[in-house]
Amino acid sequence: MMIFGYIDPGTGSLFLQAIIGVLLGGIVVFRNIIGRAIYKLRTVFRQNTDDNEEES
Amino acid sequence: MDLQHTSFRDPAGQVFRDQKGRVFRQINQAGAEDFDLLLSSGLYDVLTQRHFMVSHKLVRGETRDKLVGPDAYQLIQPQKIPFVSYPFEWSFSQLRDAALLTLRIQLAALEHGMTLKDASAYNVQFLDGKPIFIDTLSFEAYHDGTPWQAYRQFCQHFLAPLSLMAYTDQNLSQLLRVHLDGIPLDLAARLLPARARLRMGVLMHIVWHARSQRAKASEHKASTVSVRQRNLKAILLDLEHTITKLKPRVQQTEWADYYHNTNYSSAATDAKAKLIKTMLKTIKPKTAVDLGGNNGHYSRLLSRQKIPVVCTDIDPNAVEANYRGSKKAKDTNMLPLVVDLTNPGGALGWQNTEREAVHERLQTDLVMALALVHHLAISNNLPFGMIARYFSQFAPYLIIEFVPKDDSQVQKLLATRKDIFPDYHEDGLEVAFDEYYRLVEKSKIRGTKRTLYLFKRKAV
Repeated sequence: MMIFGYIDPGTGSLFLQAIIGVLLGGIVVFRNIIGRAIYKLRTVFRQNTDDNEEES
Repeated sequence: MDLQHTSFRDPAGQVFRDQKGRVFRQINQAGAEDFDLLLSSGLYDVLTQRHFMVSHKLVRGETRDKLVGPDAYQLIQPQKIPFVSYPFEWSFSQLRDAALLTLRIQLAALEHGMTLKDASAYNVQFLDGKPIFIDTLSFEAYHDGTPWQAYRQFCQHFLAPLSLMAYTDQNLSQLLRVHLDGIPLDLAARLLPARARLRMGVLMHIVWHARSQRAKASEHKASTVSVRQRNLKAILLDLEHTITKLKPRVQQTEWADYYHNTNYSSAATDAKAKLIKTMLKTIKPKTAVDLGGNNGHYSRLLSRQKIPVVCTDIDPNAVEANYRGSKKAKDTNMLPLVVDLTNPGGALGWQNTEREAVHERLQTDLVMALALVHHLAISNNLPFGMIARYFSQFAPYLIIEFVPKDDSQVQKLLATRKDIFPDYHEDGLEVAFDEYYRLVEKSKIRGTKRTLYLFKRKAV
């Protein structure tokens, strides 16, 4: 949706936002996925270590 | 009623000053909806509680009726800003802090269903040592998918000058004096060295941005570009990250190490400070401006007594050192500014009235000019009479240090040029200043050949 303000945003600036927005937004999503995966791996690893310690 | 000549672009409202010098902002019918949303969304409370934006009070009754025009919706009186300064007068860290404030406000606005419709550096001022947003009417309702209308303006006003100051030369902030709506991105891209492109943020927001503008320059139709809020926030965070990582380019200047290269002994420095303190007791100033104050060494005699002082200097390194030092010491009464007294900024823009001259903005009780007069009179060939007239436009009191010809600093200035200054002596100064000032006190600075004067401006 386009809503115009009292200053000219510049067509090139609007297009660039769409492109780098996808790029930077994608990086944020990717980082979040990796972050969550590492967190999960750590949790699983910790659980395994705790189980091993209990067994011994 | 004096309409501010800076306030004519946005139809949502305008700023004006009344006869008592009080500043008001009229909100027009065109800005009513967004103004109400600013208050009802809770954004105004968040921003004012964090001291991100000036607070205001609603003006009602007779005062309102007397001041407002036919299109008025509301009249507000914003919190007072004692000294108005402009972005080309700020050091690197001052401009960076103003940029980060603008981004944080935009992020907070998005959280409250609003967005900044402009991102001009002139919407930021310094209050109590910190940047503060002054334009209550810069906010409008945000609609999901809308790109940031002020993205280009933000890059021109903040990112471009900061990148140039970081990678090329700190003095390039002066380009903001020529380009009042920010440094054009194609110009910034051309002036940046190749290594600046290694920083992803600079590459994207300046170099690619300039290319994108060039590529779309001939398109004048409304494009249906959509940017999801999540992606818009990622752009804002990337701008914040890029700006935080920029550091001012270290430059060796004549003034950067001034207090180490001076011919003053520490005893003489103390004697000068003591004399100034005695004079301050006579004047009891409420505000002051220290012209050519370098890193603020003597301005602190005032700011430590809780007297708001503007310390100007020509050297951006000295002003940067002053700002950082004052910030670290939590000195809220110091405002350092980059000002070249031989070519001060202001009287710029539409009809030369959009941005006021320095002496109009820095009206104080006292002007200090310490170890400055020889630079003006000898290095810049300014007659004493013209210096006296200019200083008298700032304040009723003047503390001025005279540096005689046999002082080693003046001898350095005369070493490679003809001495065309027969009137450059104490009597010459006193005669010239007598046209504008009455001599109150005159003292020799112990351990030096210099003299400290206290003058009071004559009634016009």
